[in-house]
Amino acid sequence: MKLLGKLDWSAIPFDQPIPLAAGALVIVVILGVVALIFAKGWAPYIWNEWICSVDHKRIGVMYCSLAMVMLVRGFIDALMMRTQQSVAFHSGGYLPPEHYDQIFSAHGTIMIFFVAMPFVIGLMNFVVPLQLGVRDVAFPTLNSVALWLTAAGVLLVNMSLVVGEFSRVGWLPYPPLSELTYSPGVGVDYYCWALEISGIGTLAGGINLVTTILKMRAPGLSYTRMPIFCWTALASNLMIIAAFPVLTATLAMLLLDRYLGFHFFTNTMGGNQMMFMNLIWIWGHPEVYILVLPAFGVYSEVVSTFSGKPLFGYRSMIVATMAICIISFLVWLHHFFTMGPGGDVNGVFGIASMIIAVPTGVKIFNWLFTMYGGTVRFRVPMLWSIAFMITFVIGGMTGVMLAIPPADFILHNNLFLVAHFHNVIIPGVLFAAFAGYVYWFPKAFGFKLDEGWGKAAFWFWVIGFYLAFMPLYVMGLEGMPRRMQSYDVPQWQPWAHVATVGALSIMCGIACMVIQLVVSIRNREQLRDDYGDPWDGRTLEWITPSPPPEFNFAVMPNVTGEEAYWGLKEAAREQQRITRPVPEYEDLEMPRNSPTGFVCAFFAVMMGFALIWHIWWLLVLGFIGAYATLVVFAWRDLHERIIPKEEVARIDLENRARRNLALQEGRV
Amino acid sequence: MTDHHSEDIAHRVEGGDVAPGDVIHGEFTAGWRTYVLGLAIAIGLTIASFWVAQTHLIYGPAIDMALATLAVAQMGIHLIFFLHITTGPDNTNNVLALAFGILVVFLVIFGSIWIMIHMNQSMMPPTGMPAPQSGGM
Repeated sequence: MKLLGKLDWSAIPFDQPIPLAAGALVIVVILGVVALIFAKGWAPYIWNEWICSVDHKRIGVMYCSLAMVMLVRGFIDALMMRTQQSVAFHSGGYLPPEHYDQIFSAHGTIMIFFVAMPFVIGLMNFVVPLQLGVRDVAFPTLNSVALWLTAAGVLLVNMSLVVGEFSRVGWLPYPPLSELTYSPGVGVDYYCWALEISGIGTLAGGINLVTTILKMRAPGLSYTRMPIFCWTALASNLMIIAAFPVLTATLAMLLLDRYLGFHFFTNTMGGNQMMFMNLIWIWGHPEVYILVLPAFGVYSEVVSTFSGKPLFGYRSMIVATMAICIISFLVWLHHFFTMGPGGDVNGVFGIASMIIAVPTGVKIFNWLFTMYGGTVRFRVPMLWSIAFMITFVIGGMTGVMLAIPPADFILHNNLFLVAHFHNVIIPGVLFAAFAGYVYWFPKAFGFKLDEGWGKAAFWFWVIGFYLAFMPLYVMGLEGMPRRMQSYDVPQWQPWAHVATVGALSIMCGIACMVIQLVVSIRNREQLRDDYGDPWDGRTLEWITPSPPPEFNFAVMPNVTGEEAYWGLKEAAREQQRITRPVPEYEDLEMPRNSPTGFVCAFFAVMMGFALIWHIWWLLVLGFIGAYATLVVFAWRDLHERIIPKEEVARIDLENRARRNLALQEGRV
Repeated sequence: MTDHHSEDIAHRVEGGDVAPGDVIHGEFTAGWRTYVLGLAIAIGLTIASFWVAQTHLIYGPAIDMALATLAVAQMGIHLIFFLHITTGPDNTNNVLALAFGILVVFLVIFGSIWIMIHMNQSMMPPTGMPAPQSGGM
């Protein structure tokens, strides 16, 4: 038995310059950042205040930061694919097939699991407890564990760039191609173990947020007074709890096939590949709505705030959200109409897929009517929301086309489909993430993001999006299959060029966002949000100072109606001072920070790596370490620390003074 | 910590909001009794399953159904005695969550069976044709 299992020097791609150079660059950057942190003496701060933090706000910020870094990684993959297809007419292009296959697999995997998911989860983590008027989530340490397990998955996926290879079988590992017979390398194993580990994190996070929303609302905040973002978060997390175990189990079956010679999905010995498609899409379709529902919540908050009106049709929005939550479990077969279940089954699922457009349409009309008659302020988050409404409707319509089984037989597996799902998921999820990022940034950091660079980023992104994906519809209708490394049809190439221009425009958009962040940090004094309500908000998070103290609320807010904060603000505006009496401050107990999450994830990476490379002693070591972490955490003596009431009073009184000043100056 | 925890529960009980598994003061012994009773029934059902699988007293083809029935009963016992699902008004959330879970499980199981049966039928070679070469599709 070899000490390092399957691992040896051949795992390092010395013969492939692109991944090697990229990997080397990433390693240099990471080492540089770590060196800077130690040189400047920031290490204790980073460790104590961030890595070990169990504060839901900081965990939310870290989730979103992780998503943004991975967005760049996923985007580089996308840019490589677009340029490859631009040059690959009658030639091999610059990416060999086995590398191209890894790139589209990594692009899909990263964008869904490590960009969209952490971004959405990060926003929910940051915002939901603030909107509910509570001090933290139900299980703060579990929250930290969930974050770091997601990060562990990210690390494993990125490790595959330098050590070994990544999956070449697409963003979902369809057997029999993903079975050991046809994919003997470690790529599929990297994929599966990364998702098994981060999937546990996602499930833990889902349980955490559902418990928080059901059990921990501020006094008076009944279900029909909850902000829509909390409702969409509830629906999304319920779906996480119902759907993610299916993903875990399906990948576990594939792993059993690969590791222990089982025959769940093999094409011999009674295995059935179709069961894999069936199971993976039972998770996969709800996953789409897990991502898009919180995004709808962001748009609801943004549209209402920047139209200066309560959300139109609040209750119909709740009904639509919960309807989507259930119907989304009834449509999964539309991902494999062509596999041969026959007309009856296809008909039922086709109709169910069209029905789900109804609650979504209700939402679109609600946003439009919220804007109607309002004083709309075209700030950056609102721009993203308007772009979303227009673009998403186009994507939705092509979706209804694909829901017609006969049409799907023509359009499936070609670029029309690729154009469709990018057309729903980019405006549906990514634009919402950007809107939420600009909208809640001042709440998280105490200063707004630069408006000019934000608008520049917006225009580059939206124009780039249309240029990049509308040609894909045409190419699809001209018959171009997805995932082509090279092709011989001259009609496709001009459209491929347009799409590449679009991708370059999106690149400029990303550059503008980076510049926006740098410029805003430099000009933070001018952009300062001094009293905590920069957008004239309507929900409870805007009652706190920016950034909110660790305990969020000095006293639990008492909610007496919909739009809890707006009512208080109206009263305060009339009298030009805060009308709430100064409360009796009390000592507050907050959970202690804990390295449990980080240590847990460290051992999870160890176990994942050991499993991928068959290094069994390392697996045992990782398991012992993870178990020991659990025992140490379970036997801890100190759970909480006290924040003295003097400190609470100081922070709250300071914010009251700033608000009173702002009220007198008429700035609120 | 313990004091604070029970205080917290007392506060929630006042508001009519009890989480499953909350042990309320004075009901500790009652809680013990339900757990022991639940454990006894659960063990009984487990033994019954093993017995059913081996006995000749039951009509052979019915054994599967008997095992399924015992398994469902086992789940019910766990829900009632260990997870404390009741029909009381303080348990609406849990009952709704359970209903959602059962709905999803139902959809997954029966949806899959329905789809796979149709898929297998469509994939059968037409009658009268020679069987395909080894390996099938």
